[in-house]
Amino acid sequence: MSSDVILVIVICTALAFDFTNGFHDTANVVATSISTGAARPQVAIAMAALLNFVGAFISISVAATVANDVVDAGVITPTIVFAGLIGAITWNLITWWFGLPSSSSHALIGGVVGSAVAAVGFDAVLTEGLVGKVLVPAVVAPVLAFTVAGLAIGIIYRIVGKQRPGIVSRGFKHGQIVSGGLLALAHGTNDAQKTMGIITLALIANGSLGAGADPPFWVIFSAAAAIALGTYSGGWRIIKTTGTRIIKMDAAQGFAAQGAGAAVILSSTHFGFPLSTTHVINGGVMGAGAAKRVSAVRWGVAGNILTAWLLTLPAAAAFGAIVYGFTHIFGEGAAGPVIVSLIALGLVAFMFLRRAQRGAPVPAGG
Amino acid sequence: MTFAALIESKEMLETVVASVIAGLGVTSAFSIAIWGVGRYTELSSRGDRPLAATGAALVAAGGLAVVGAALVFGIVVMTSN
Repeated sequence: MSSDVILVIVICTALAFDFTNGFHDTANVVATSISTGAARPQVAIAMAALLNFVGAFISISVAATVANDVVDAGVITPTIVFAGLIGAITWNLITWWFGLPSSSSHALIGGVVGSAVAAVGFDAVLTEGLVGKVLVPAVVAPVLAFTVAGLAIGIIYRIVGKQRPGIVSRGFKHGQIVSGGLLALAHGTNDAQKTMGIITLALIANGSLGAGADPPFWVIFSAAAAIALGTYSGGWRIIKTTGTRIIKMDAAQGFAAQGAGAAVILSSTHFGFPLSTTHVINGGVMGAGAAKRVSAVRWGVAGNILTAWLLTLPAAAAFGAIVYGFTHIFGEGAAGPVIVSLIALGLVAFMFLRRAQRGAPVPAGG
Repeated sequence: MTFAALIESKEMLETVVASVIAGLGVTSAFSIAIWGVGRYTELSSRGDRPLAATGAALVAAGGLAVVGAALVFGIVVMTSN
């Protein structure tokens, strides 16, 4: 009975995490299309929400990685998954409060690894999966997106450089409807699957599913719905700040950046690599910008991404371990997760109220 | 390096190759389509080279067909996993 209560808390927390992931990442997905005038904000956001929802259904490789390849599902309990989630949310809130860069995806994996280590020891971590499927792709993917976008914009200028600018601009604006849609689809398929993987891991830990099981349909549907609703909700906030936060680029650069980001995320998803989609999309944007003019790139953003790479996994792991230790004080039952959930909810409400009084927040990346 | 790690690096390599081919291939095909549209517009407004204008239109259609085929192929590969 108490493990079912913990399971329900884990599922609700994971879906809330998924919602905030969509909320944070709307800017990354739609910014380029809105910035170049390829799509009206309302249309771009509605399309991104819909395609995030659809994207969640096209693959389960990343969910399988998160559920089976990062930590040993045989020794994990729902409380460990819960502590990992709260650890990730805590790190995301801290970075959001101080305006530091973060990656929700890396925080999620780091949190679960940290709580698993605190509960069971380092034997709970599947090192090969963690290194081969999380750490290496985390470094390679943004660099790959940067390179592909840079090469793509070079090819574009070479082929259409002597054409009339009006035709070229209109053509790539139409192309951005497709490339932006693909990026939203890619975002949905990679990011929603992390939540599916976490819920599946909790279901396996609870004995509701067998080891190595795929996520059930209701898990896929609820994760898809949560990220789509988050994307749609986040969008209306972004409309107000579009003018100040978006990098100015032409339609061809937007097409190259979105195309490169979508290609890298979709290819990685096919092989089950859980990526930071924010890092990949930023990598594509910087690649398309740097190929035209190096000084056009906000290199500070690149520095922030590097910081996020280095900090997020270990910091979220530390918080996951601390939350597990605190939860464990109240015993093995549901009391610990219930108390920690109430404290976390109170803390979130306090932070949002304080932030609302002091000014607009700086969102963490996904 | 263990067998599992070797498989992972092979998959990483395949991800890199697939990303480069998809990213650059679709971009090239779409750029060629836009080039075709641009040439067609230019030639058809002059009206003195109808054959060349038709050729440019065919290039544009071919570029768009390649983009469409690449998208369908990508979605089929993703959903078949």
